[in-house]
Amino acid sequence: MQGGSSGIGYGLKYQARCISDVKADTDHTSFLTGTLSLKEENEVHLLRLSSGGSELVCEGLFSHPNEIWDLASCPFDQRIFSTVFSTGESFGAAIWQIPEPYGQSNSSTLECVASLDAHVGKINCVLWCPSGKSDKLISMDEQNLVLWSLDSSKKSAEVVSKESAGMRHSLSGGAWNPHDVNSVAATSESSIQFWDLRTMKNVNSIDRAHVRNVDYNTKREHILVTADDESGIHIWDLRKAKVPVQELPGHTHWTWAVRCNPEYEELILSVGTDSAVNLWFASASSDNQASERSAEASRQRVNPLLNSYTDYEDSVYGLAWSSREPWIFASLSYDGRVVIESVKPFLPRR
Amino acid sequence: MATEAAPMDEKAKRMRDLLSSFYTPDPSISTPTSSISTSFDNINGPSFDADQYMDLMIKKSNLDVLLQRHVQMAAEIKNLDTDLQMLVYENYNKFISATDTIKRMKSNIFGMEGNMDQLLHKIMSVQSRSDGVNTSLFEKREHIEKLHRTRNLLRKVQQFIYDLPARLQKCIKSEAYGDAVRFYTGAMPILKVYGDTSFKDCRRASEEAIETIIKNLQTKLFSDSESIQARAEAAVLLKQLDVPVDSLKDKLLEKLEQSLDGLQINPDEASKLAEHNVSSKDEESNNQGPAKIHEDAVRGFSEAMRAYREIFPDSEERLFKLARALTTTHFENMELYIRKRVSAADFLGIFRIIWEDVVLMDEVLPEAALSDLSAEAAQVTLKQFVARTFSHLQQDISDTLLKFDINQKEVVDGEVLKVVLEASGKAEFRQLLDENTGIFVKMNDLLIGWIQKGFQDFFSEKIHAGLILVLAQLSVVIEQKVIPRIAEEITASFSGGNSQAFIPGELCRVFHAASEKLLQHYIDTRTQKISNVLRKRFKTPNWVKHKEPREVHMYVDMLLQQLEEVGKEVKQILPQGTFRKHKRSDSNGSNTTTSSRSTTLHSDKMARSNSQRARSQLFETHLAKLFKQKVEIFTKVEFTQESVVTTTVKLCLKSLQEYVRLQTFNRSGFQQIQLDIQFLKAPLKETVEDEAAIDFLLDEVIVAASERCLDVTPLEPPILDKLIQAKLAKSKEHNNNNNKTTVSS
Repeated sequence: MQGGSSGIGYGLKYQARCISDVKADTDHTSFLTGTLSLKEENEVHLLRLSSGGSELVCEGLFSHPNEIWDLASCPFDQRIFSTVFSTGESFGAAIWQIPEPYGQSNSSTLECVASLDAHVGKINCVLWCPSGKSDKLISMDEQNLVLWSLDSSKKSAEVVSKESAGMRHSLSGGAWNPHDVNSVAATSESSIQFWDLRTMKNVNSIDRAHVRNVDYNTKREHILVTADDESGIHIWDLRKAKVPVQELPGHTHWTWAVRCNPEYEELILSVGTDSAVNLWFASASSDNQASERSAEASRQRVNPLLNSYTDYEDSVYGLAWSSREPWIFASLSYDGRVVIESVKPFLPRR
Repeated sequence: MATEAAPMDEKAKRMRDLLSSFYTPDPSISTPTSSISTSFDNINGPSFDADQYMDLMIKKSNLDVLLQRHVQMAAEIKNLDTDLQMLVYENYNKFISATDTIKRMKSNIFGMEGNMDQLLHKIMSVQSRSDGVNTSLFEKREHIEKLHRTRNLLRKVQQFIYDLPARLQKCIKSEAYGDAVRFYTGAMPILKVYGDTSFKDCRRASEEAIETIIKNLQTKLFSDSESIQARAEAAVLLKQLDVPVDSLKDKLLEKLEQSLDGLQINPDEASKLAEHNVSSKDEESNNQGPAKIHEDAVRGFSEAMRAYREIFPDSEERLFKLARALTTTHFENMELYIRKRVSAADFLGIFRIIWEDVVLMDEVLPEAALSDLSAEAAQVTLKQFVARTFSHLQQDISDTLLKFDINQKEVVDGEVLKVVLEASGKAEFRQLLDENTGIFVKMNDLLIGWIQKGFQDFFSEKIHAGLILVLAQLSVVIEQKVIPRIAEEITASFSGGNSQAFIPGELCRVFHAASEKLLQHYIDTRTQKISNVLRKRFKTPNWVKHKEPREVHMYVDMLLQQLEEVGKEVKQILPQGTFRKHKRSDSNGSNTTTSSRSTTLHSDKMARSNSQRARSQLFETHLAKLFKQKVEIFTKVEFTQESVVTTTVKLCLKSLQEYVRLQTFNRSGFQQIQLDIQFLKAPLKETVEDEAAIDFLLDEVIVAASERCLDVTPLEPPILDKLIQAKLAKSKEHNNNNNKTTVSS
C-alpha cells in the first residue's frame, strides 16, 4: 500500500492520544490536539493547514495543567474546547477558551470557561451537542452521564440532569446522535446503550462486549459504526440492531477508533494499535431488500479496504476528519506525531 | 424414203452441227467429222479461208469445173438460205406458239389462286373433322382400356379374396401375424362393401381367422413372458386391426405404473443396494446383487417406455408423468433414507444409481426434462444431506467432547480434535468432494457454499476453539489436496467443454481464504480469551495505590496456561514449520540493541529518579526507536505451529502493552509490572520462534509502564531474581501436587 509519503507531518513534544477537528473555524482547516504526559507540562496545539494544503502550521501553543485524555472542539465557537484530563490520581473535565490574541506569546495560558466537576471516577469523554448552536454538553464517567448547559459569557456550566448507568455498566465512551439531539450512544462493558436525554433513561441497547469506540454516520440516519478490540468494525442499522449490517475486519490488533466521513457516507476511517490507519469503503445499504444481496455482494466485491496508511511508529489513537475539507483527515500516533492525509484518490465517483 | 432420209439426215446433222458450232464458240468441240475434212478445202471447217480456196480452185481446176463448182455452190447456198429461212420460220412459229401458251397459262393461273385457297380451306376442315372424330372416340377407347385393366385387377382381387381364408390360416399356423394383419386390412374394404355378395363365405372365414389372430395378439400383449418388442408389435397390430387401443393403453400404462413400485428404492434396502454397489466395484464377478437387478429393472422400464412411446405417440404426457413420478419417488425415498444416518459412500452410491436411472430415462424421453427435474431434486437432497452431515458431525463432536469432558478434560482435548479431524475431514467431505458424477460438477459450487455456510453456522454456536483450528486445517487440506484431485478427475472424465462449471483456481481461492479466515478466527478467539484475563487484571486494582510487589501475580499463570493450551492444540493439528529465527538476518543485532537499550534504561532508572531524567529518558526512547529497525510485530500468519503460537503471543503482549498504557502506576505498580514481565520472559522465549520480537514487545511493556508511572523506581535485580525464583519454586511444587493428585485419583 501507499506509505505515508503523501501525508503532512507535525511532531508534538510528548505522547498524545487525542485530536479534534475545529469545526467552527470555517476559514481554515484546523485541528486541536493535546499531549499526554504524566510528568511534563502538557500542551494544547492548534494546528492549521496552510492554504496550499502543503504545510501544517502551529497557530497556537497553550499549556494545559494536566495530561489530556480527551479533547473536543466546540462546534460553534472555534476558540472554545473541552478536555478530559488526569492528574495521575484523579480525573477532571473542563471547558477552555483560547485567549483572544492567540499566537503571539509562545505559551499563553488557556482561560478556563467552566469546570465540569460533577464527577468522581474516571471521566471518559465530553460530547458537544452536534446541532451546532446548542450550548448543551455531556460528560461521561464510568458510571454517570451528566448533561450540562454552558453559558460561555457567564463562564459557567450548570448540571441540567445527571443519571447513573449503574455500577455494573462501566461506561467507556460515546457519541451524540447528529440526527436526533435527544439521543446519545454510550459504550459500556457489555453493550452499547442509547440514552434519551429528555428522560435521561437508557431506552435501547445493543449487546456487544468491549466496544471501544462508536460513531454515527452523519449522512445516513440510523447508521452507527462501532469498533471492537477483537472483532474489528461493525456497522449497525439502529432500526434492526440485532445483527450488524456489515462487518469489516478492522486491524491486526485492536481497532481503537472509527470515524465516518462527514460528507462521503461510504467512507469510514479506523485507527488501530497495529500502527495503521485504514480507509474503508462500506456501501452496505440499510434497505431491507438489500440485506441478502449485500451479503453476497460484499463477498463478491473487492476488498472494502481502500487503503492502509502504515507509516506510523506507534499505536494510533487520535483520528479526526476535517469538516471543512472532508477529504482530509488528521491522525495522531502515541509518539505525538500528527499526520494529515488526503483521501482524494479514493473518493467515490458521484 | 430411205434415200431421202439419208440426205435429210445428213442435212439435219449438218444443221445441228452448225447450230451447235454457232452456239458453242469453242472449236475443239466441233464435230469430229469436220476435223476429218481437209482444213482448207473443207468449206464447213472452221479454218476455211475463202480466198485461199478460190486461189486453189482457180489454180487447180478448169473453167468447167469451176462453173460446175459455181453452180454447185450457188445451189448449195440457195439450199442453205432456204434452210435458214425454214429454221427462222420454224423458230418463229415455235416462239409464237410459246408466247401464246404463256399467255394462256397466264390467264389460267389467275383463276388458280382462288382455287388454291379454297383447296387449303377444305383440307383444313377435313383435318379438324378427322381430329374431332379421333377425340370423341379417344375417351371411349380409354374407358375401354381402363375397364379392361380393372377387369384384370378384379380378377386378381377375386383370386386374393378367395385365397384369403386359406392364407390367413397359413399365417396363423406360422404365427406371421404381421402378414396376416396386412392381408386382412388389405382385404377389409372389399369385404366390407361386397361382404354380402359372393364373398360371404370368404368374409366369414377370414373374420373367424382374424378373430383368432386378435385373441392371440391380445394374449401376447398381456403376457409378460413375451419380449417388450414383441408386445409392442402386437399392440401396433392390434391398433391396425381397429381394436380399441386406448383401453389397451390404459391397461398397459397402469401395469407400468404398478411396475414402478418395484423400481422404487426402498429406504430399507437402499443401504443394501448401496453396499452392493460399492462392493460390486470390487468384485465384478458377483453380478446378481440387488443393484444389478435394479439396474436391469430400470433398463427394462426405460425400454418399455421407449416402446410405448413409439406405440402410443399421444401418450407422452403420461409417460412424462410416470418418469417424473419415478424420479420424485426416488428422491423422496432418498430423503427418507438419509434421515437415518448414512455414510457419504452409501449416499453417493444411491445417488449414483438414481443418476444412472435418470440418464437411462432421459435417453428415452429427452423432452421430459428429467435431468433438470432431478438436478433440482438432487440439489434439495444434497442440501439436506450436507445439513444432516453437519448436524451429525456436530453431534459427534459434542458427543465426544462431552464424553471426554467428564474424564480428563485437558489431556484428551487434543485427541478429540484429532478424531474429529480424521472423521470429519478425511472421510465425509473429501468423499463428497471427490465425487465427480455429472450432477456434482454442476453443483460443486453450491456444495462448497453449503459447506462454508455450515462452517459459519459452526462458529455462531460456541464450539471449542480448537475445532476452528481443525476446520482451518481441513480447509487447507481441501485446498491443497482435494481440489487438485477433483480437477484432475474432472479433466480426465470431461475432456470437453464441461469444465467451466468447475474452476479449481476459484475454489482453491475460496478455500484458501476460508482457511486463512478460520485460522485468524482461531487466533482471535484465543487472544480474546487471554485479552479477557488481561482486562480483568488491569481494570480491577487501583494501580495508583498499588502495594509493594510480594510475588509474581496470578494472571501470569493464567496467561501461560492459555498459551500452553494453544501450543498443545496447535501441535496436534498443524504441521511443524521449518524452524527459523527471525526473518531479518540481523536479528542478533537488533536483539543486542534492544537489550542494551533496556539496560541503559535500567541503569538510568536506578541512578536517577527526578523528572528531568525521566524527560531525557523519554527522549532516549524516541532516539532509540529512531535508530532501531521497526520490529515486524504483525507478520502474516502461516499454517505452522510456530507461526500461530508466535502470532498469538505477539498479539497478547501487544494487548498487554495497550492495557498498561491506559493505566497510571505508582512506584509499586510499576514494580509489579516489571516483576511480572521479567517472569514471563523466559517461558515465552521458550515457546516462541521469534525471540527478538518478544524481547522487543516485553521491553515495550516495561517502557509503557515506566511512561505511565508517577515514580519510576525499578526493583533491584536481586529482589527481582528472588521473587522469580520463589514463584518458580511455588509453581513446581504446585505441579508436583497436581501430579500427586492425578496419580492418587
